[in-house]
This record gives sequence, C-alpha cells and structure tokens, in this order.
Amino acid sequence: MTTPSNRGAGASDGAHPRREAAPGFSASPWFQALLVIIVLVVGYVIARSLGIGGGFPGTTGERFMAWLDGIYAWIVVNRNDSPLFLYFFNYVSVGLGSAVVLIDRLLGLLTWPGVTVIGVLAAWRVAGWRVALLVLVTFGVFALTGLWDESMTTLALIITSVSIALLFGLPLGILAGRSDRFHRAIRPVLDFMQIMPAFAYLLPFVLLFGIGNPAAAVVTAVYAIPPAVRITALAIRGVPKGAIEATTSLGSTPWQILTKVQLPSARRTILLGVNQTIMLAVSMVVIASVIGAGGLGDAIYQALSKVNVGQALQAGLAIVMLAIAMDRVTGAVGHGTRTPDIPDRYRLPLLGTGLIVSIVTVGVARLLGVEGWPRDLSVDISGPVNAFADGLQAAIGPFTTALGTWTLDRVLNPLSAVLGGAPWPLVVLCATALGAIFGGWRAALVSAGSFLGVGLLGVWGNAMDTLSQVLVASVLTIALGVVVGVLMSRNDVFAVILRPVLDAMQTLPPFVYLIPAVALFGIGRVPALVAAVIFALPPVIRLVNDGIRGVPPATLEAATSQGSTGWQLLTKVELPMARGSLLLAVNQGLILVLSMVVMGALVGAGSLGFDVVFGLAQNQLGLGLASGLAIVCLGLFLDRVTQGRKVRRA
Amino acid sequence: MRRGRLVRAAAVAVVMVLLSSCAVRTDQLARDPGTVRMALNGWVGYEASAEVLAHILREEMDYQVQLVRVDEQPSWQAIDQGVLDVIVENWGHEDLMELYGPGGNGTAVDGGPNGNEGVIGWYVPAYLEEEYPEITTLEGLKENTDIFRTAETGDRGEFLGGAPGFVTQDQGMINAFDLDLQIVFAGSEPAQITEVRRRYAEEEPVLFYFYEPQWLQEELDLVKVDLPPYEDGCADDLEAVPCDYPAYELNKIFRAGFVEEDDPAYRFLDNWTWTNDHQNEVARMIADEGLDSSDAAEIWVEENPDVWRPWIPAGFDAG
Repeated sequence: MTTPSNRGAGASDGAHPRREAAPGFSASPWFQALLVIIVLVVGYVIARSLGIGGGFPGTTGERFMAWLDGIYAWIVVNRNDSPLFLYFFNYVSVGLGSAVVLIDRLLGLLTWPGVTVIGVLAAWRVAGWRVALLVLVTFGVFALTGLWDESMTTLALIITSVSIALLFGLPLGILAGRSDRFHRAIRPVLDFMQIMPAFAYLLPFVLLFGIGNPAAAVVTAVYAIPPAVRITALAIRGVPKGAIEATTSLGSTPWQILTKVQLPSARRTILLGVNQTIMLAVSMVVIASVIGAGGLGDAIYQALSKVNVGQALQAGLAIVMLAIAMDRVTGAVGHGTRTPDIPDRYRLPLLGTGLIVSIVTVGVARLLGVEGWPRDLSVDISGPVNAFADGLQAAIGPFTTALGTWTLDRVLNPLSAVLGGAPWPLVVLCATALGAIFGGWRAALVSAGSFLGVGLLGVWGNAMDTLSQVLVASVLTIALGVVVGVLMSRNDVFAVILRPVLDAMQTLPPFVYLIPAVALFGIGRVPALVAAVIFALPPVIRLVNDGIRGVPPATLEAATSQGSTGWQLLTKVELPMARGSLLLAVNQGLILVLSMVVMGALVGAGSLGFDVVFGLAQNQLGLGLASGLAIVCLGLFLDRVTQGRKVRRA
Repeated sequence: MRRGRLVRAAAVAVVMVLLSSCAVRTDQLARDPGTVRMALNGWVGYEASAEVLAHILREEMDYQVQLVRVDEQPSWQAIDQGVLDVIVENWGHEDLMELYGPGGNGTAVDGGPNGNEGVIGWYVPAYLEEEYPEITTLEGLKENTDIFRTAETGDRGEFLGGAPGFVTQDQGMINAFDLDLQIVFAGSEPAQITEVRRRYAEEEPVLFYFYEPQWLQEELDLVKVDLPPYEDGCADDLEAVPCDYPAYELNKIFRAGFVEEDDPAYRFLDNWTWTNDHQNEVARMIADEGLDSSDAAEIWVEENPDVWRPWIPAGFDAG
C-alpha cells in the first residue's frame, strides 16, 4: 500500500548526497539543538526557583472564542431566514444528503449478489484476477460479519464524497499544475487542511450543512481533497517540457495541450492521487460517524458503547478489507499492471457479456426477493476476540500498567512541566532557534509565529502539554520505526509477513484499539500515546525500508569488499544514503502522531484534543476551533523544523 | 413492499427537484413521510429505549425508523435543523430549551416525562466503602482524597470525569467542597467504563462521575457518595456548586413540526412511558449478554405486550 501522502509526493525527492563533508562537532545541528534544550531546561529551573510560572498573558484567546461563539449563535437564529442558508448551504445540504441516500438505495436495489458480481467483474477487468479475488473476499467479509447493509451505506458515502473531492480537486490540481502563482497560493491552504485535525472541523460543517449525511459527505470530501490537488499538480508539472514545446510549435491551443498532451501523459500519476483520495475518504467516514453518518463507523461506535472490543474489531475488519480492496483496484489502474491483456476486438463483446451477467444476476436475485445478506448467516468472532483481550489483560496487565506509570512519572510529567512551566518568551525563543538550526530563517519565522499563535489563541498551557505528548510519541514511533524498518529491509521473508500487517494497522480505525489500550495501560495519556504510535508506525517503517532498499547494490558491494562489517555497512553507508527517506519518515511520523491528538483525548489524554472533543460534544464552537487551530500551529512548527532544509532549497 | 420502496425513492427525487426551485429552509429537508427519525445518544440505556420504540414502530405500526447516532447537544441541533424528529431520553438541558423551545426559535417541544428517573452523581466501588466506611460522606471524602492519587494526577486525588457530551458540574463541586481532587477527563464513556472495570478487578480505589439507569450498575457493586442535596439555583455558578446533581425526570423532546403533523407515530411516542426497571431489563440484555440491541428489544416486546399495548394510539389500525 502506498503511504498516505500527508506531505505530498513532492516532498520525497529521494536520497540526496550529504551537504558538506563531516561538519565540525560544534557546528553540528544536533549539538546546537542540544544547547537549545539545555537553555530551555535551565531557564525553567531558574524561573521556577524565582517563582515565575508559565502561561501566556492577555485575553485575545478568550475574545476570539467569544467571537466564534457569537457566530454560532447567529447561525442558529438565522438559519431559516438568511439568504446565505436559504439559497446556498441548505441546497448543498439537501443535494448531498439525497445523493448519499439515493446511492445507498441503488446499492440496495442491486441486491447483494448483484453488487458482488458487478464489483468482482469490474475489479477483474481493470486490475486482474488476483485483485478480483480480493474484492470477492472483501464482499465475503461484509456478508459474514453481518454488516452488509452498513458496508453499503459506507460505500455510498465514500462514492459521494470522493466524487465531490475529485470534482473540485482535479481542476484545482490542473490549475496548480499550469500556474506557478496559483500553486504557491494553494500550497499553504493544503498544508493547513492536512494538519487541521478532522474532529476540529466537524462542528463548523455540522453547523453549515446539518447533521448526518450532508455534513459527513462534505467533511470527508474536504479531508480527502489535498492529495488529489497535490498529485494532479505534480503530474501535470512532470510532463516533459519538450513534448509541450513540440505541440505548441505545431500551433495547439492551451486547451489542446491540456487534453492531448498533459492529461494523457499525466494520467497514471493522477490516478495515484485518486487512490490516495479514496484512502483518506475511507479513514474519514469512520470519524464522520460521530456526526451521525451511519454505516461501518457507526457499527464500530455502537460496539464500543457496550465496550465490546470483539464486535468493534469485526466492523474494523470490514473497513480494513474495504480500504485494501479499493487501494488495490485503484492502485492497479494507476500502475497499469496486472490488467488482463485483451485484444481490442474482444473488448466490446466482453463488456456486453459482463453487463448481461450482472443484469441477469440482479434480476434473478430481485425475483427471489433477495436484498441485503441475511444477518442470520453471519459469523460472530467477537466472543473469542473478547476472550483473547481479557486474557491478554490478565497476563500482561500488571506489567503494562507499571510501564505506563513509569512513563508518566519519568517522561511525560517532567517534559510537560518544563514546556508548560518555562516562561513563554523562552519557549518561543527556543522554538525559533530550533527552526533556524534545522530549517533556516524561514522555518525560524514560522516556528516563532506558530508559538505566538498558540499563545494568542489562549490555549498555551494545553498546547504545551499536548506538545510534550506528541514529542514523546514521535520519538518512540521513529525509534521503533527505524529498528523495524531496518529489520524489514534485511529479511525478505519478514518483509512479506509484515506487509499485510502494516496494511491492516494503517487502515484499522484507531477507535478499535483505543479501548484495549485503556485496559492495558490505564486511562490517561499513556494509552493515547500507545494508540498514536500504532497509528503512525506503518508509514515510518515503510519509508525506512524503502530508503535502505533503494541504496544501489554497487555501493554496498564496494563497501563490503573494503571489509565493512554489517553494522558499519548500516551506519556508514545505508542509513546516510537513505537520509532523504529517513527525514521524510521523521516528518511523516510527527504529523501522523499529531493527527492522533484528538483521538487520544477519547481515552483521557486531555489538553487540546479534549477541548476539541468537548467543543464538538457541547456545541462550543469557539473552544473547539481555537484548540484545533492551536494543533495546526504545533503541526506547522514540527513540520517546518523536520523538513525545513528542503523547503529552503526548493 | 419492493414497489413501495421504488416509489419512495422516486418521491425523494421529486422532492429534491421541487425544493431546488425555491428557497430551502432546513426544516423542509427531504424526508420520507413514513419514516420516524430518532436520535440515538451514546449510552446503552438510551439505546434500549430507542430500540424498543423503533421495534414497535416498525413491526406493529409499519413505519420506517432511522436511528441517528449523535451526542446530546448535536441532537438538539438536529431537531432544530429538522433532521431528527425525537430525542427519547433528555437529561435537563434547560439552556437548549430556552434556545430552541417555544421561548426561543420554537423548533423543539418538550414532550413530557418518559417515566425514567435519572440520577447523576459521584460513585465509588462497594469494596472501598468496606475499607473506608466514611468515604461516602463529604467529610470522609475530604479526608481521604489521597487514596485516589494516581500517576496521572501526582499528589492530588484523581476524579474520573464522564464523557465530554454529558451534563457536568464536577469542577464546581470540587471547588465549592474544597476537595484536593483533580479531574481526569475520560474522554469517552467506553474508556471510562474500561478503566472502572480494570480498577474494580484489582480492587483499586476509584472515584468517578456516573449515573443511573446504567447497565454497569448491574455488573459492578457501586455506591453513590452522599453530598448535600440539590436546591434550586445552587448550580447557577458553574465555578462553585455546593450541592449534588439534581434528580432528573427524564423527558422526551419532539421536533415542533412532528408534533403539528400529529401522526400516529407521534401519538405513540407521546403515549409511551416506562420505568427504570423496564429500561434496565433491555439494557442488560444488550450490554451484559451481548445481544444485538434490536434482538434485545424484540425479546422484551414479545414478553411484555401488556406494557406496550396501551402506547399504541387508540383507533390505530396497522393495516
């Protein structure tokens, strides 16, 4: 499975040579960063002994939140009078809500044998028989878990929101591919959309579009748009200049250049963007169940409200299969591989046969009165899963709880105390310095701005606590990711076994493993940390593995022939040469951990994430949005610090 | 039946086209006439009530029922937007009634009590009371806050808060009673229940926000802490609340338009009242025995026709 392109494919320009030959120790960025950290800790100790506390002065945050709450109140009062709603939002709302319902009905009308036959045939035609088999298994899982209807609802929601995302995303991407100015203008917007936690914008969209399917469709589309725009732009830009110049010299109009040259040659890359969009949509429909979207996400929610982990896992499994099947189908279209090679003259008859088979299946099924898969014919795996979870808790519970306590006492509490207790100007200075060290003056400016922004939003204390949690989770993720990634690159058998596990980890909705984490580690920041690590680990492992495997064999041979040991080979040759991938892995790890901040609040992580959840649950737009924006600020800082050098070069 | 569904799909499409030719008000959103849309709030007791009502509406009265899972506050918002018809178990929310009720924009109507009585309070496990008999009094609690210390709260006692969507005044109570406690926000009800179960299994101390009717009360032996009873106005300042939570007479909230239509479905829901015991019977089947909530509702409906027959509006013929 391709890694989610949170940072866009443009960020990965692969391994590049080290900038300069071994810099002096004092000039090493790591040494400088260490100095900054020492300054921060010393500053904290001095401030504490002088009785100076942390916190950010001023009431701008409160005023901002009150202003947002005012907007909320206005909308509630004016929803049925204001032309903005009567002629715009309510239209969109009705249209989208009805679209989801109609698609769902259509899937219902096709009956389960019909949907299965059409799905499998289509998958075979575009992606070959292996993928078709996978699609068949996926439908089998929907049926056997007793979640057929829910799966169809989810599918309807995904179809609707992916259509919206592509309807807006592809043209925007084409525009960004053709105009540098537009590209520069839209990039920060996309960055913002990708760092903003999905939970934080649920409430504004519910307010504008109404609870249930309409808001769910819009929110999912918004969440899924960025890769469509980014990768389309990248694809259009990647078209060889020579081809365009040749066409221009032949007198083609811009429209002809686009449709005859740019789009056809960028097609495969654009399809990969579509693939990413679909994957994001799949993960978002689960979150959208919080605002009343039905389907598989709702099934997970329902199981969890009874603390039935097994049942939740069952629904989670259906999501995983859905995600993997959709990924393989669209991925195969994108790569253009594995498509059955059918001579032109057989194509039309084949299509006709497929259509007839589908129609006959649907017809027969409808005559027999079949609709959804009968619920009685399902397999319940929740019993054994729950027994396993209980057994696990009994076996290692005491150990994990002790580990959790240790993490809190020794790592999280001290770090949180330093960040939250140090005087705010010192923290801002240190952040700026880190930005300058790792990313140059631009990153330094962004870092300073982000921290000031957090303060002005009035959530300084919470943000520092959240930052401490994010840092710890990221360090853990990256350390684990590098170790496992290296192992995976060394051993092909291990890699083959690990790959489906990573696929599942990446697509399994985090809701499913949050509760077992509480059972093992006790409520609070630790289970949130564990969940964040699980969520962020797969892409990091993949990137490390890809990076090391990408090292040219000739280089390795040269090093081996000079008598390098395995360890030397790894530390002196492979890791340095995979530096580009490693940096990207660090960056991805941080951003993914950050995106779990709100999820973590569901198991007691508190701080910014909790305020986002609380704002949503209690209709407090100001608090929820301000906390969401603060998370974006932290994200900008972490992002710029970890990939600043590339930005400066670009 | 099949034809009926096709007609309905067509009807929705027609309504869409009609609506798009004029200004659209949120309370006119497309909706099937034969469908009742019920909020499904996130606790099992609520689910028990909703599923029983849905089962009777579906099987006995031939309605379609759509259960929409949303939090408490958003369900009011959904009533206001015309997306939902009824909340079957509402806990207080006077502020929302002011906003959306007859005194506000008039989109929501108080449907009267549903017969359930709700208690919110602070709870401890029974084994803790055996060890510290005075722990269920305010004075005893005050002296023993240190037993609730955890790694999460350091040198203060831990108070385990409820789900973010629930009605709370815990911080105000901690302030007013001057208790050395710090709230750890559970963030969600399943997380809170998992934690309470874990501590219960280890017989560790735990003090937490909880409520009745709640199915976990049947599984675990919990004791409510005795705090000064609620009086009118004592919870006005959320920074300092020197009293316990009020007892809630749980009520139904209807969409104003749904009441005006005076459909048999509305009259059925209006007639419905039942007791905490009824709700717990169903909730226990769902949560403890792991039955599917609709199966649990079906069993209860089959076993208790005397209870629910009178709810069906007089003269209603299911046809």
